[in-house]
Amino acid sequence: MESVTRWRERLIAKTTRPTLKTSVWYWVWLSFLVVVVVVGMYAFTTQWRRGLIVTNMRDRISWGLYISAFVFFIGISHAGTLISAILRVSKAQWRAPVTRVAEFITAFSLLIGASFVVIDMGRPERIFNVYLFGRWQSPIMWDVMAITTYLTASVLYLYAPMIPDLGLFRDRLADKVDPIRNWIYRTLALDWIGSPTQFKILGKAIGVMMLIIIPIAVSVHTVVSWIFGMTLRVGWNTTIFGVLFVAGAIFSGIATLVIVLAILRRVYHWEEYLTPKHFIYLGYLLAAFAAVMIYVNVSEFVTTGFKLEEAGEFAFRQLFLEDFSVMFWFYIIGGLITPLVLMVVPKTRTIAGVVVAAVLVDVAMFLERYFIVVTGLRVPLMPYEPANYMPSIVEWSIFAAGLAGFALLITIAVKIFPMFAVWEMVEEREHEVALEIAQSILADQDMKDDGGDPGAESLVGVPTAEGGES
Amino acid sequence: MTRHVRTEVAGALTLAAAVIIFGFGTGPALAAEIGIAVGAPESATVGADVEVKAIVTSDNEPLEGAVVALSYRTSLGGVDGRVELVSAVTDAEGVAIMTYEQRAASNGEMYVAYIGPDNIETAPFVFTIAVEPEQQQLYAPISGIEIPFLNGSLVIVVIAGLWSLIAFSAYQLVRVGRAGRGAGQVSSAASVTEQGSAWVATVLALTTIVTAVGMVIVFLRTPLAPGDPLQPERYDRSPIAFLDVDLPYSGVGLADESLAETGDALADGEMLYFKYGCAGCHGLSGASVVVAETLLGEVGSFGGFLEDVREGPKGMPGYIPSVLSDDDLELIHRYLREGDGD
Repeated sequence: MESVTRWRERLIAKTTRPTLKTSVWYWVWLSFLVVVVVVGMYAFTTQWRRGLIVTNMRDRISWGLYISAFVFFIGISHAGTLISAILRVSKAQWRAPVTRVAEFITAFSLLIGASFVVIDMGRPERIFNVYLFGRWQSPIMWDVMAITTYLTASVLYLYAPMIPDLGLFRDRLADKVDPIRNWIYRTLALDWIGSPTQFKILGKAIGVMMLIIIPIAVSVHTVVSWIFGMTLRVGWNTTIFGVLFVAGAIFSGIATLVIVLAILRRVYHWEEYLTPKHFIYLGYLLAAFAAVMIYVNVSEFVTTGFKLEEAGEFAFRQLFLEDFSVMFWFYIIGGLITPLVLMVVPKTRTIAGVVVAAVLVDVAMFLERYFIVVTGLRVPLMPYEPANYMPSIVEWSIFAAGLAGFALLITIAVKIFPMFAVWEMVEEREHEVALEIAQSILADQDMKDDGGDPGAESLVGVPTAEGGES
Repeated sequence: MTRHVRTEVAGALTLAAAVIIFGFGTGPALAAEIGIAVGAPESATVGADVEVKAIVTSDNEPLEGAVVALSYRTSLGGVDGRVELVSAVTDAEGVAIMTYEQRAASNGEMYVAYIGPDNIETAPFVFTIAVEPEQQQLYAPISGIEIPFLNGSLVIVVIAGLWSLIAFSAYQLVRVGRAGRGAGQVSSAASVTEQGSAWVATVLALTTIVTAVGMVIVFLRTPLAPGDPLQPERYDRSPIAFLDVDLPYSGVGLADESLAETGDALADGEMLYFKYGCAGCHGLSGASVVVAETLLGEVGSFGGFLEDVREGPKGMPGYIPSVLSDDDLELIHRYLREGDGD
């Protein structure tokens, strides 16, 4: 059997590889993203100069693509919380290779999501007026607070478990990378020497953070849903919005994590660490949340549809049959039912199957955010013609820049930060190896006791080296 | 004291038309003369329930099942209209009792009109109910209920507790850095000669604390809502619906521009005050405050006023000259200085 030390060295080599070797394609990809972001920034300067008139948002439909993007990005930020915190709290053994990427997704998507609120403002320079005139009786203010709390907490939660790995990078890459990255590692590693005292203190920080970040994350998307739920609009008059938004957030968060992991795995040949097992487990989570989403949707539409208040008929008609029916049915069939089926059928329970499901889920969840925002505002409050909304070129450009900006942040982070939690993976490996040794000792004893066949029964309940049940 | 007046409605033309349309077999109500008599108190106080009794007759016989509505005349932004208060159906004695809550500070002319069930045009019964002077301003009931301990202080405690935990975790990182420096020797890396320091952790921890304190400050300095229902003087009821008139507004701005071009500087100023949406925040008459400050009689020199409108102080949007000209602004300024808000 391969020793843990050699396994560790190979892991370190694989983890540091992106920081040492950069292909031409990387620069092509990076340039593409930068171009999209720059175009979006130009579009934003137009909007800042000329006002929100350059968007297609008007008095009747006053929230559009920006707010949909805000809800969507805040949603995918739940990836880190679920994968990292919930799996850490529940001590799921397979989580180690996926946590770091999940935490990066959280921090970056929060930054992008929060900036869409500012983009949606006609006078973005007045954002700090929140401190002067903010009233905490307003749900918008709760949102500002919840997101600030979540951003602070998730940056801490990303950073704290990364310190040992930053220390590793500092030690291993000192004479191999440029001075800037050297400085980043030296500074961020906080004099990490890997002493038991440091591990103990760090464990305390991680322990507290992983417990409080779960309620914080739940509160964030609940409060986001309340911005809609506490507004007097027919489509939003529902108490289940908190559940729908939080479940949807985790759902799209897992999907995004699957996509990012699949890309990194392919590009940096991390097949050894990101095994089919990881994808299939994430696929199971995806399927579970698809089921929750189906349940919540049924519960929501059956209760409101049964009572069907006056304007509710219009809301239902536009969603189920008319203007938004294509989006809506794609969301239900393509985004909720198909991923569930893909994970239930053994034949499609593969990495490719999970990735297809994840892409469907992300597209569907974005459309869901979009039609929730727009259909809610479209139901007329007075007897006027229902307005129509189609985002303008400025809105599309800024939205594209948001997506590209998210990808850009991850693309850059890959070149600087350790994308694997090396120390946690080594711990996990040690655990596995210990089990393997224990098993072989048990097997030897059985041989001696029985003097014959090493009975499979004696191994029942002991997880295999592949991780099996946990 | 109550007054009884009788209004006769001949409606010969209406009758003739009805006969032509419906031919024979029409009910007695159609062919009849509708009479309305009203009994109402002479005066009312704001906030009190007022009972108005209407007796509807058809050819001097009590009419059962007739629908009558009570409305009053008022004006908003220079446009007159009738606001319906309540409607009722007559009983076997032809009596309909309508009760409404006196909300407006003055009623103007009040009407009881026959509405149906038949399509007969009748003149409404006109009368007045004076509103007692020195009345209390009506305000809405307190929204929500007070539950002990379930209030803003609890929210502050929860948020402060949460942020203490975050700050605690951030402080642990400061300790991680210190522990590394104390040990002196770098364990696994002989190649590292230059050490970093714990300043990043300190900055992180301090940022956390500053953000936390900032949030609590926002909580503590939250201004009271200007439309706070607990402060009756800040709460003024406006009519909510007009009958039989076209409103001069379509969202922000006047639908009919000519309303602001009468030549009477004060009247035009008042209309422009609506046209540019000032009323949306500063109140309908410039004195009843909804969101922003009272302006009527409170504005200073035109120069300062102009500067404020162009810049937009305290969260107010600034108005550029191509949107709101200096000339129009001067009229608005004059209205706010000299107008009486009626």
